[in-house]
Amino acid sequence: MKSPSSFDEGDFDFCGNNIRVSHLGVEMSLRSEIAKLRKEVRGELKKVSSLEELDTLWVRVLGRKGKLTSLTRELGRLSSTERPTVGKMVNELRQAFETSFAEKRRELERELRERKLEKETLDITLPGKLPQLGGKHLITQIIEEVIRIFIGLGYQVAEGPEVELDYYNFEALNTPPDHPARSLQDTFYIRRKGERPMAEDVLLRTHTSPVQVRVMEKTKPPIYIIAPGRAYRHDVPDPTHSPMFHQIEGLAVDRNITFGDLKGTLEVFAREMFGGERKVRLRPHFFPFTEPSAEVDVSCIICDGKGCRVCKYSGWLEILGAGMVDPNVLENVGYDTEEITGFAFGMGVERIAMLKYGVSDIRLFFENDVRFLKQF
Amino acid sequence: MRVSLNWLREYVDFDLSPEELAERLAMTGTAVESIEHLGCAFEKVVVGRIKGIKPHPNANNLVLCRVDVGERELQIVCGAKNMKRWDRVPVALVGAVLPGGFEIKKTTIRGEVSEGMMCSEMELGIGEDASGLLILDKDSGVGEDVGKVLGLEDTVLELEITPNRPDCLGMIGVAREVAAITGGKLRIPRVRFKEESRPASSLAKVKIADPDLGPRYVARMITDVSVGPSPLWMQRRLIVGGMRPINNIVDATNYVMLETGQPLHAFDYEKLREGKVIVRRARRGETLLTLDGVLRQLDESMLVIADAREPIALAGVMGGADSEVSSGTRMVLLESANFNPVSVTRTSRKLGLLSEASSRFEKGVDPNGVIYAADRATQLMARIAGGKVLRGAIDVYPKPVPPKTMGLRPRLVNHVLGTDLSLKRIAQILESLELKVSKPVARDSKLEVTIPTFRPDLEREIDLVEEVARIYGFDRIESTLPESGEKRGGLSPDQRIRQRIKDFLVGIGLREVITYSFIDARHFDKLALPEESPLRRVVQLQNPLSEEQSIMRTTLIAGLLHVLQHNINRGQRNLHVLEVGRVFHPVPSRPLPDEPTMVAGALTGAWHDDQWYGRAKSVDFYDVKGIIVALLRDLGIRDWFSTRAVHPIFHPGRCAEVFVNGEVVGIFGEIHPDVQAAYGLPERVAIFELEEAKLVSQSDLSRHFGEIPKYPGVILDVALVVDEKIPNEVLEKAIRTWGGKLLKEVRLFDLYHGKQIPEGKRGLAYSLVYWAEDRTLTDEEVKKIQDRIIAKLRQQLGAEIRA
Repeated sequence: MKSPSSFDEGDFDFCGNNIRVSHLGVEMSLRSEIAKLRKEVRGELKKVSSLEELDTLWVRVLGRKGKLTSLTRELGRLSSTERPTVGKMVNELRQAFETSFAEKRRELERELRERKLEKETLDITLPGKLPQLGGKHLITQIIEEVIRIFIGLGYQVAEGPEVELDYYNFEALNTPPDHPARSLQDTFYIRRKGERPMAEDVLLRTHTSPVQVRVMEKTKPPIYIIAPGRAYRHDVPDPTHSPMFHQIEGLAVDRNITFGDLKGTLEVFAREMFGGERKVRLRPHFFPFTEPSAEVDVSCIICDGKGCRVCKYSGWLEILGAGMVDPNVLENVGYDTEEITGFAFGMGVERIAMLKYGVSDIRLFFENDVRFLKQF
Repeated sequence: MRVSLNWLREYVDFDLSPEELAERLAMTGTAVESIEHLGCAFEKVVVGRIKGIKPHPNANNLVLCRVDVGERELQIVCGAKNMKRWDRVPVALVGAVLPGGFEIKKTTIRGEVSEGMMCSEMELGIGEDASGLLILDKDSGVGEDVGKVLGLEDTVLELEITPNRPDCLGMIGVAREVAAITGGKLRIPRVRFKEESRPASSLAKVKIADPDLGPRYVARMITDVSVGPSPLWMQRRLIVGGMRPINNIVDATNYVMLETGQPLHAFDYEKLREGKVIVRRARRGETLLTLDGVLRQLDESMLVIADAREPIALAGVMGGADSEVSSGTRMVLLESANFNPVSVTRTSRKLGLLSEASSRFEKGVDPNGVIYAADRATQLMARIAGGKVLRGAIDVYPKPVPPKTMGLRPRLVNHVLGTDLSLKRIAQILESLELKVSKPVARDSKLEVTIPTFRPDLEREIDLVEEVARIYGFDRIESTLPESGEKRGGLSPDQRIRQRIKDFLVGIGLREVITYSFIDARHFDKLALPEESPLRRVVQLQNPLSEEQSIMRTTLIAGLLHVLQHNINRGQRNLHVLEVGRVFHPVPSRPLPDEPTMVAGALTGAWHDDQWYGRAKSVDFYDVKGIIVALLRDLGIRDWFSTRAVHPIFHPGRCAEVFVNGEVVGIFGEIHPDVQAAYGLPERVAIFELEEAKLVSQSDLSRHFGEIPKYPGVILDVALVVDEKIPNEVLEKAIRTWGGKLLKEVRLFDLYHGKQIPEGKRGLAYSLVYWAEDRTLTDEEVKKIQDRIIAKLRQQLGAEIRA
């Protein structure tokens, strides 16, 4: 433990029988003084328990008026033959003292810091200092997720007005004037000043499909877009209906787009959105603006297709409507339908959110109770 | 459309369970909304034949019946009066449990043994009639299970028929579809009946005055009918199909409507003046009392059936009460007609009157199916009401509609579907749907396809492609991805900035909400907007759901304050909400309004709840200002300033507008205490509303590297006491101006009023950071600048300097 230069090591040298005994009294007395001091300091150093005590002891031993200093002065009384030997002993003792004092100091300082750190121990179970947390609405999160997936498939994002002309919402989408979807029950119309012809009627878009037409009017194929946004229907609110909701429209128009492409695209989407194991099926359906048209189901994300309350024991959940763009729609924007084909699809964002997160009532999305919003 | 599988099997055979059939229908385009198993609610109830009735010896109002139940004869005590000898009735045997848990036991009633119970409709739980025993049809087999005899065990598929398939609004149409998808054979009931020698036209005259609205009218005459209840099997099918049995004549018309999809109507012939039926527009001022007992005001847009004098029915919608078939009716004029779908839709909407008939006509009924339906109903009336059929059908059909023929290129089928179907396979699929396909000449030639008029949805080549796809099976078409190499996905630069704005605001602690685009006009009063405020110029809904959602919003603030109120009413305190959405401003010269997207936030309460490490401070003006400054900085917008603004929504002294490159991009501040009170908000509310497009166009996300200072800077503080009217901005600007090039940063770090400061003054302390790009500044150099700044502040702004 002790270093070789420590004075305890020298103990043997000073007390051992091999030390030559001088005939001179001064020399004898100095030698015994040295031994005494060494012993005394060793004892006192052991008792030191603070840095202050250590400093005091230092002054008493090694200070200007300290015991070792006065011992050094005594060396003058020795003869020139004795002086080197005893002088060396004194120097060695000084070095040994300095080492021991330094060591003691380090030890005391370490103890002191340890005590201080111990005092600083915290209750680590107190709450952390949280930064204020914001968050996006679940609907936004779903829209961004869908956008991310389709960007990966090479799509761009398009938008159109929410207050829309009848032409874009219905007529250009092959929805004849007396189609049931156009009745007052389904569509919010904007109040007009004065009389204008029907085609100029203004309404709240009932779907995001008019964006298809607006994009195709301005752009030549190839077109690969998705169009998220608000849509409106004249539905009295209940757990599954809301007069305002969100849709995401998709459109791919190019040479040689096939129904198989539509299937493949929706399968990729469904697996990205709902998990890799999802199965997808397309059921024939009717929409005025697509032909053939399909409703698209994924295998139930709750029961994995085994049948549960959410999928009404069918094992399938309907997530969107789709189809090949009707040639009439393509002709309305001046495309050559012999060359160009396309597919389109539209999904209800709230429905996807409700399925994916088990939200029980569509009205919750627009009530904006922060206890609801914070869950996502 | 409710489809009884028992009934369906009369037209087509299929070897599938109800669930399998539903699955096949769904996968070929007929969605099945529900599968309803109509179980029989009882067991051990059999057909019994009453062999004898005699009075009960000990009770005046009871009788003893001997009833043959097949294997044996029972004695049953009965209180009903409506049965007679040889009637067949349901008999609940000993051990049967009737609906409601009533168990039949062998008992003794006033000393006579009763070994069962004869039942009424009510007791069996199949109808409402409790007035007497249910008298079964004469051909019911004695001892047979009553549930079977009545067809009570059945499965009903509720089909969702899309508007393009009116042909499936009748059992035969559904059966045709089932035949196509299962390969089964379709059986359409053959119609045969005896006709009298007297022609129908000798009694009835039909004229169509408006062939555009009423293209075809067929009438048949049935005389000597005896009106009464229809047979149980027919009643049962009507009930299962969702209709109410009325009498045998009316039931026959409804039965045939459910069967063929063709609505029919029966008139009491003797109520028709001069035996005339005229299909014409109503005249102004005419009225009609319809079958539902409502007196309808008619106008010239409506098509009616009239007799020689006045309307007797609303064409395709509902009959009139005066010519209704009743128990006294002896002669029936049966109408089977075709009406214009648009006309029927408009009339039924205008009158708010929807019927089974109108909903079918709206979607379009086959004009060439009227004769079959008329004959089928005639046959049934002759059979169940004992009528005599006068010779011939009166058929007015000025412009017969022939079946269409069109070409189909197999190449197009495969081009659109991405398949490789052979011409033969395509032809086979179309034929299974009863389309006629000409034999193709060569492998690549067109198919000539003849479309029966019951499929009005098949108008174009692409419609035939769909038919091929759906019967072939969507699931068998191989999945692929578009091959184009030209597409490049991604957000546009503007879209990326818009995303960044939302990400940033959410990142600093705002919670996004989505509120309705339509609001209550009364918000404008709560917001204290004056009449002339541009925010009151709104896009109004023609047909709002309610007053609360009747105008399109012109600001997001109303919605956000409503969200705060809603949450505070539910016990929340500290709220920080954000909405990014469109507002709507009408443009006088254009049909569509402007729809700028706004970015708005509202804060109330504190950022945090009180915490163990500190109490929370309520948010104020400077919280929203900080958000805006941080946002502008994030968007790289350097050239901006805010000025004091006055706006009715805001606190008069705590409102500012933000300008970027000299253009207003938005407003922020604390709302006026009156507005706060109007929304019932207990604490201060700080809000902002910025125009997204302006932020986007002014943003600059380009970044350039600048050298990091090599030499240490010097920081010196200065504390001023100045007139409290001098804005901070003036002081900061002055310091910067006088500080020159070496003064790089000025930061206010303390603001104080109080004892040491004289009335009308305030203390501000700034930290000034100096450094040079090329050397270490000396203390003397910096002191000189600092002294110059202090001197100028003293001289020009009357500042007093505190050590």
